[in-house]
Amino acid sequence: MMQSTPAAVRTVDVTKVYKIGHLDFPALRGVSVKIEKGELTAIIGPSGSGKSTLLNVMGALDRPTTGHIYIDGVDLRKLSDDRLALLRNRKIGFVYQSFNLIQRLTASENVQMPLIARALDMKTRQARALKVLESVDLGRKSNKRPSELSGGEQQRVAIARALVTQPTIVIADEPTGNLDSKTTGFVLDLIVQINKTLRTTFIIVTHNPEVAERTQRIISIRDGLVDKDQYIHRLDSFSGQEKLA
Amino acid sequence: MDRKVRSALTILGIMIGGAIIMALVASSSGLSAGVNSQVSKIGASTLIVRPASAGFVQGGQSQYTLSSQDTEILQHIPDVSLVVPYYSKNVQISLGGQVQSGTLWGIEPKMLPVLYKGLSLMAGSYPAATDPTAAVIGNGVAYPVNSDSQLIFVNQAISMNVGSTAKGLTFLVKGIFAQYGSVLFTNIDNNVYISFQAAQIILKTPYYSGFFVMVDSPDNVASVQAAIQSQYAANVNIINAGSIVSSVTAITTQMTVFLGAIGAVSLFVAAVGIANTMFVSVMERTREIGVLKAIGYKGSQIMSMFLSEAVLTGIIGGILGTILGYGLAFMLGGDIPLSSFGRGFRGPGGGAAAPGASAPPVFTPELIIFCLAFPILVSVAAGLYPAWRASKMNPITALKYE
Repeated sequence: MMQSTPAAVRTVDVTKVYKIGHLDFPALRGVSVKIEKGELTAIIGPSGSGKSTLLNVMGALDRPTTGHIYIDGVDLRKLSDDRLALLRNRKIGFVYQSFNLIQRLTASENVQMPLIARALDMKTRQARALKVLESVDLGRKSNKRPSELSGGEQQRVAIARALVTQPTIVIADEPTGNLDSKTTGFVLDLIVQINKTLRTTFIIVTHNPEVAERTQRIISIRDGLVDKDQYIHRLDSFSGQEKLA
Repeated sequence: MDRKVRSALTILGIMIGGAIIMALVASSSGLSAGVNSQVSKIGASTLIVRPASAGFVQGGQSQYTLSSQDTEILQHIPDVSLVVPYYSKNVQISLGGQVQSGTLWGIEPKMLPVLYKGLSLMAGSYPAATDPTAAVIGNGVAYPVNSDSQLIFVNQAISMNVGSTAKGLTFLVKGIFAQYGSVLFTNIDNNVYISFQAAQIILKTPYYSGFFVMVDSPDNVASVQAAIQSQYAANVNIINAGSIVSSVTAITTQMTVFLGAIGAVSLFVAAVGIANTMFVSVMERTREIGVLKAIGYKGSQIMSMFLSEAVLTGIIGGILGTILGYGLAFMLGGDIPLSSFGRGFRGPGGGAAAPGASAPPVFTPELIIFCLAFPILVSVAAGLYPAWRASKMNPITALKYE
């Protein structure tokens, strides 16, 4: 089927080589993947497989040694560091295992941070932050600091921060790694719901098979290469319905 | 809480540095201005010639003497326009049951406004030169320090003792000077002025306390002084108001620079504190910097964020330091001890300490602006490198920082 809109993320034969002393360490050895808009994709692999490196280059935090990366059709190779920052602000959201919220700021202020980079006025920022926090069911706790929130609540704030700029993709690096199983379930339910209602593209790096099972597609990385790439749920029939494989 | 304590201490360092500059420079400027205003009252064209103290006199005399023949000698020096002899003696003035120290001057009263620029009568008139019973008094005699109201009025009598020379002197007050203050070695406000002839009779001496020598132009003062010096050698003291100004200006300029340098050094130390605080802050917020870069902050925005914290430190420290320095300057400022200008110089009457003069600090707009702006500049300079380091951090490395 012809795609009329560009893919959310497309990597073309991407390599990444780290120099450690005199040695070259190839973290990625030619990765080509295409993730369409609206997909909920897991990237799995053992430690040292290159999955975090792939996440970093997809998230425009790092540049590949060779190859091309396209975010929403834009070739990242052509962008300066400042323009990459701009692209991250507009098109990419990040969620981390350790939440990475700024402790001295409230939930609302944390969510507003990407909007401050855009120099939006305070009223607009506050309104948008509150709306997004309400969508993750934390509207009533917008004035709480991270230390006053549970782990699950903090991760929901982090998800809200990732969503506030209405990004093309949200990259989540072990988003449930610091949560108990019950909270893991809640957070995954939230991600699935957001993906379904907002059609936000999620790319989740995880080593937890239960997390991977909740996604539509699993890309397996091993030794810097794509080992397996399969859809496990149909794209438009997602909500616990028919599993493909 | 730790961050707030660190910030407060950093601001304190800037505040102290700024306050030192403000206080010391304002004080020394006040000193300079105080001396200059004192000396300018008498003008740059007037020399005061007095007998040298005992010990400086040539020929073994106990004290050199000046008399009427010296009036002629001085008058014949080229470029001298006027020679005014005077007597001056310390007195104890009886005022409302109390005794106040002052100085009795025997000098043509009408000459006083000529000698002291801006001096004027508040009440009454000048007595005749031949009237031995009349006096014009200074404002501080009519309004003594211990009294809330005027104690002596025109046409009232005033009594005083001149040491053991003349006890129970009484004069009729004909005029009262407006408030004037100190000029070099005498405080006009504390003096009583009688005519030269009256002083000669009362003090029973043909020997003068000194001469005012007025020169026709400030340009000729040096040559007149040289001529007097060559005539009298070390037997007289010559007070040259113009050269006092130059000497004081040179000293106070050096003092101002030196004191300002002390303040600048303390600000530099404070700047090192700022840099240290900012490095610690950048290190502590490494992960935060990584997150900010991940969500789209440019390096320049990160740098601005940290620099603005340094600027804020400088602004708060500068304002508080300026306020503190203002108060400190008044604590440091005080009297100018003018009694020691010139070799062997003593107060009138010999031996008594001459009055000082108040020297309030001087706060020029330039000094205030400097004390507000310099701490900000110092803070920005100190914060520049740490802020730049923050802007250049690799976001991936920063996000992994523990």
